[in-house]
Amino acid sequence: MRIFGKTNIDFMGKRYIWYAVSGTVIGLGMLSLLLKGVNYGIDFLGGTEIVVQFRSDVDIGEVRSAMDKTGFTKAEIKTFGSDRNILIRTPEQGEGSIIADRIRGGLSAEFPTNPFIVQKEDKIGPKIGAELRRDAIYAVLASLVAILLYLGFRFKFLWAAGAVAALFHDVLLTLGLVSIFDGVIPHLNLEFNQTMVAAFLTLVGLSNNDTVVIFDRIRENQKLFRSMDLVSLINKSVNETLSRTIITSGTVFVVLAVLLFFGGEVTRGFAFASLVGICTGTYSSIYIASALVVEVVVRTKSKGKLID
Amino acid sequence: MKKYTGKIIIIVAALFLALYFLWPTYKDYDLHHTIAGLSSDDSLQFVEKHESDIREARAKRIKLGLDLQGGMRVVLEVNVLKLVEDLAKNKDDQFQQIMKEVREEVRHSEESPVLLLRRKFESRGIRMSRYYRNLRDTNDDIYKFLDDESTKAIDRGMEIVRNRVDQYGVSEPSIQKLGGSRIIVELPGVTREAEVRSLLQGTALLEFKLLKEPDVTYRIAESIDKLLAASAGTDSTLALGVDSTLRSDSTARADTTKISTPEGEMSQEEFAHKHPFFSLAIFSQQFPGEALVADENKEKVRRILERDDVRRVIPNDMEFLWSAKTRLLGEGKRYFTLYPVKVNAELTGGVVTNARAQIDPMYNQPVVTMEMNTEGSREWARITGANIKKRIAIVLDNAVFSAPEVRNKITGGHSQIEGMSSLDEARLLEIVLKAGALPAPVDIIEQRSVGPSLGEDSIRSGITSSLVAIGITILFMGFYYRTGGMVADLALMFTVLFLLGVLAAFQGTLTMPGIAGIILTLGVSVDANVLIYERIREETAGGKTPRAAIDAGYSKAFTAIFDSNLTTLLTGIILYQFGTGPVQGFALTLMIGIVVSLFSAIVITRVVFDIMVDRTGLAVNFG
Repeated sequence: MRIFGKTNIDFMGKRYIWYAVSGTVIGLGMLSLLLKGVNYGIDFLGGTEIVVQFRSDVDIGEVRSAMDKTGFTKAEIKTFGSDRNILIRTPEQGEGSIIADRIRGGLSAEFPTNPFIVQKEDKIGPKIGAELRRDAIYAVLASLVAILLYLGFRFKFLWAAGAVAALFHDVLLTLGLVSIFDGVIPHLNLEFNQTMVAAFLTLVGLSNNDTVVIFDRIRENQKLFRSMDLVSLINKSVNETLSRTIITSGTVFVVLAVLLFFGGEVTRGFAFASLVGICTGTYSSIYIASALVVEVVVRTKSKGKLID
Repeated sequence: MKKYTGKIIIIVAALFLALYFLWPTYKDYDLHHTIAGLSSDDSLQFVEKHESDIREARAKRIKLGLDLQGGMRVVLEVNVLKLVEDLAKNKDDQFQQIMKEVREEVRHSEESPVLLLRRKFESRGIRMSRYYRNLRDTNDDIYKFLDDESTKAIDRGMEIVRNRVDQYGVSEPSIQKLGGSRIIVELPGVTREAEVRSLLQGTALLEFKLLKEPDVTYRIAESIDKLLAASAGTDSTLALGVDSTLRSDSTARADTTKISTPEGEMSQEEFAHKHPFFSLAIFSQQFPGEALVADENKEKVRRILERDDVRRVIPNDMEFLWSAKTRLLGEGKRYFTLYPVKVNAELTGGVVTNARAQIDPMYNQPVVTMEMNTEGSREWARITGANIKKRIAIVLDNAVFSAPEVRNKITGGHSQIEGMSSLDEARLLEIVLKAGALPAPVDIIEQRSVGPSLGEDSIRSGITSSLVAIGITILFMGFYYRTGGMVADLALMFTVLFLLGVLAAFQGTLTMPGIAGIILTLGVSVDANVLIYERIREETAGGKTPRAAIDAGYSKAFTAIFDSNLTTLLTGIILYQFGTGPVQGFALTLMIGIVVSLFSAIVITRVVFDIMVDRTGLAVNFG
């Protein structure tokens, strides 16, 4: 079975349009980030968080007033998967389970006819929160450095730079989209916690996967077609690997979509971010990584840059 | 055929290994399913009958993270400042003031509290020896001492926590040191926070209790034995096991040994029937006055000792306490020791001022020297004087760590405890003795608990999404790549099997993000096959023979596969290093998944195609 025959799409020719698209989306994303701020989860903020499941649906407004009455005015309240699962987070920690007990007391008082069970209870001290934040940043930086080193080893500098630029593009784009969609879609919790950081690192890996496959083909074609100009070479390589790109990215996309819809609350944010990531990852291999090299080559009027 | 026999052997061997490691997980599921279906009496009987099976299956099954099985995770940190405060003497107003200032600084600084304290002292021009140790000690000495103590405190904390958790009876608890000052405690299945808090905090109770006389103990044990034997006929829940390893003092062997008793020789079952208590709690000449209980029988004996009728037989001034650790005896079996002690302690631990484990130069044996304060020394002299040749148990939080014999009256509070089998055992005793006197104050800095319902939900959604994802992938590959696709599907099944097998073999933990990692692995592993097949299609279209096309496909696609998967592996490793708990579970399954899927995609599919092409000489249909 075949979806694509021999294609001959001029990818590089259309690149300027796509620069604009990328630029706009990232711009919007960064704006959203600036306005909304980063929605940190309890992992990075510290505090007390409790998830309860009521027997029947509750109105968030009533939960909020219950919390206000108990004295937790800074509490963050959202649904956790359905309208009867409520997540309450507040920055206070307190000794032992005092805070959690008070929250529970407040809820019982407000909803005497709607019993609930506690599904999850977390208490994170501020020191731990700061450490996890720091570790997350280190992890992301370390990954980027590791990949840069590896790419620099396998490909010539300009191409490696292009690949890394694609990664930055992907991270920023996904970050922006996560910020935009946070709180917009009901029951989709896109807070920034450890699992979300894992999603970002994963999408970095997947995006790089894709870029490397295309570069590999470019490398092979350069050896075979020494006199071909760079733009044609890139177009040819992308066309040849198009089948694989669509199928692999498509498979990962479908698999992540399954996780998003069937996978339960805990990994939903992860699935969403990874889903966005696989899309931008595929796209960036062509329109950021390879395109960057083209821009540099065209600007410096050099004959063509060897990839290896 | 010859050239791929080697590969086939490896594949089959790997398959068997995977199944072997996954078997306990299935068995565990099966057993629990059966138990859930029985009535409560039947289930108790079933549990007793299959106790060792159940335990083994549980021990070797795939470890589930707390987010999947429910439970609590607590991170404790030694409160160094409190420790330093406790160690000081002559605490006056000036000292309190300094402590107050240091406490404020600690809040904002990442530096060691001991260092901050030292600086405070030095900036005020006061010698630390005013409040610590001896006047002659320099600030350097004292700094080193305090630093040392804070490091040791964490070991004390760990031992205390471990001891208490052991007694509490959590299944598969995990207690680990993190860095130099933190302890991570994971308690699956525990959700009642109040209990956990008492478990992990609060001063440890060190007591010195006298052991009861051996003959008195034996008589009481006999009464228990007779009582049990009498009721054994009507009590079907007393499914007893027999332990013959220590019976015959010379040669210990398996079940066919006849047991010789004052009543004549009898077989294992007869003995267990006539002497239900003695068959579990062994009173041997080697260790007079105490009973040895095999590891697997501890629970049974504990239940026996809790029975009302047994309790009535034991005198009010006496109780049975368990040893904290097991002993290795007989044929490599582990035994707990049951000590009969007087309920009222002779002395409690606040009196121990210092303890040290060392090797006695004269006899080259490990010993522990112990020092007491003035009132302690006085009492100790009285107690030891009145109980020469008797044994005193050293008990921490109701577990006996040692029960040495009193050789002579000890005045001056300076004692030497002998009889440990190794320096490690001596060091443990040192920790224990200090634990009672000098607590290791810990703060709970992180606490997460997951209720079982959320855990079950997670497992269910995890399994559902995995199955759906696998299903979709298999169907697609079959349609798009025809025969090649079906072979890829086979490789995919292997991948998942091997992934779980490796996880079980290395006792890695499966978390909810870990399940996400497995699902992601599916997608990524398809990639390798896609790269190869697309290549094969190209080569075939270019005119190569089926054999050559397959060869070319594999070799040309290899670099791309290798490069791309390596970078994902790198990010997985980094994530494993920097992540905690559930996220580490994700990194683990991702890493294992990548390695395993490469094996399946490259080796397994290759072998299948080679066989197909060589056998039929026809082209394989790659769509």
